[in-house]
Amino acid sequence: MNSLRFMLRTIRGLMARPGPALSLLYLTVVVLAAALAEVLPIDPFSQDFVMMLEGPSAAHWFGADELGRDILARVIYGARTSLVTAAGAVAIAGAIGIPMGLVAGFFGGWRDAVLMRIVDVMMALPAILFAMALIAVFGRSQGAALLAVGLTGVPGFARIVRAQVLTLRRRDFVVAVEAFGGTSGYNMFRTILPNSWSQILVQVVVLSSVAILLEAALAFLGVGVPPPTPSWGEMLRTGKSYLYEAPYYAVLPGIALTLTILSFDTIGRGLARILENPRDVAAAGGPT
Amino acid sequence: MIGYVLRRILQLLPVLLLASIGIWAMLYAVPGGPVGMILGENATPEQIAATRAELGLDRPVVVQYLDWLGSVFRGDLGLSIHSREPVLDLIMHRLPATLQLAFVATIVAILLGVPVAIISAMRPGSWLDRVLSGWSALALGVPTFWLGILLILLFAVYLHLLPSASVYAPLWSDPVTALKSLILPALTLGVYVSGVLARFLRASLVSEMNADYVRTARSKGLPERQIMRAHIIRNAMLPFITIVGLQMAAFIGGAVVTEAVFTYPGLGRLLIQAINTRDYPLIQGCIVVILVIYVLINLTVDVIYAYVDPRIEYR
Repeated sequence: MNSLRFMLRTIRGLMARPGPALSLLYLTVVVLAAALAEVLPIDPFSQDFVMMLEGPSAAHWFGADELGRDILARVIYGARTSLVTAAGAVAIAGAIGIPMGLVAGFFGGWRDAVLMRIVDVMMALPAILFAMALIAVFGRSQGAALLAVGLTGVPGFARIVRAQVLTLRRRDFVVAVEAFGGTSGYNMFRTILPNSWSQILVQVVVLSSVAILLEAALAFLGVGVPPPTPSWGEMLRTGKSYLYEAPYYAVLPGIALTLTILSFDTIGRGLARILENPRDVAAAGGPT
Repeated sequence: MIGYVLRRILQLLPVLLLASIGIWAMLYAVPGGPVGMILGENATPEQIAATRAELGLDRPVVVQYLDWLGSVFRGDLGLSIHSREPVLDLIMHRLPATLQLAFVATIVAILLGVPVAIISAMRPGSWLDRVLSGWSALALGVPTFWLGILLILLFAVYLHLLPSASVYAPLWSDPVTALKSLILPALTLGVYVSGVLARFLRASLVSEMNADYVRTARSKGLPERQIMRAHIIRNAMLPFITIVGLQMAAFIGGAVVTEAVFTYPGLGRLLIQAINTRDYPLIQGCIVVILVIYVLINLTVDVIYAYVDPRIEYR
């Protein structure tokens, strides 16, 4: 129950400020729309040739694209592509980066040196180029996009967890577990990791924003999730070709994308503030 | 000073070595490997064996890698599969366009970012500070490619002031065409970088403003402007330069995307074309060159840092 109370308190802390509160509200709407897309009376694939590149109307609130498909429907299904890619990418980044950081920080020495050089290499190329290189090798597919975006997130997790381990490594409760004969694995995953969750949580939210941006950028460059899967980046890419005929086509998906990125970023920074300074939550009227 | 730079290069060596192995191994990780890439799927075993021998793939892996690394150092990046031209020539043909874009975008970023940072740091917490901080959050959060589209809509589609697609013209020989083509891409990329500059320079300035020497300067009656100019900005530059160096990767990535928005004929577009045509030697070449540029920028940042801060010993 402790974690539930912690969660409620954190959410209440976020709701206390207008920026994070609005962001949370917007993301809830996006997540619900993406999750319930099948239930909604929309179809992202059906073509209405009469309405091709027509502007917003009662039948098509956001207008129709070059194949006469409903843009609003594609924006909503595109939200699903973005959110699924972000979730998958964060999971991949965490699954690789967190153990890397734990091992590097806990053991130090040659393991630390080797793992951190690998991290340095991953950071030597701009994330988008690193992702493009991976897609060039794997070929263009949803899986490749997910893996590429996920791998670019590994250094962030590895460095944050490593730094956290270094500050906890010599603390009494960790040394005590060691003294009682606890294995290194037990110490890393059962003693240190549970004390690092708040930093990891902030990184998860920040990385979600980066992952959504990266997925959209790859799709915009024509190397991301392949069509006909609706994706915000792909819509902007196609919409750019019809700026004269249908300007709203490239504008509306962009608004959805930008608000999602800004929301994740705002919540990430709000979380960092709350978790660094728990009294902020209390001052905001939450239970102490 | 020279010793310091050499030491920094030595520290970079393991990273560069690992990165070069990664770039080299790309070819081998492709389904079908280098042979399948050249011959396609319907090759006979004899053809495959002949091509393997021709490419030297029957030699030990280490020898193959060192051979590749040696030719990279000699500036030989191989031939493009698609156009059969030397990869280095193709890259050198496009590189000036990208450097020109980066140069103008950097000026835009400094002109926009530095005043914003200084004005908001003068009165931290004021409404002006909040507005300007909000602006830099926006500059960082709005995707580069969407901002580019909005600028095209406004300046090309509605106002008919600037072209929607950019061409490359050298600034020194044809400044009018060059600037007309560069304004929108440089603004798009520059706004993003200005957000980075504004956020970090402001943080750096605010933390310096509480330092003892600032209080001393105030108590001896120096005007606020002079304290800012002669004391705070100088000291705040140090952490700021480091951050700017770290952010250069994002800058290069942003340039690739910006080139795609404006169909600007630079290195980024070349890389995208190479990926779309699966031209692996060209992909490798582009990545090698970008990596070298990135390393050079970081070295330059280190040198500037050492130059600005006399406290750094060149050990």
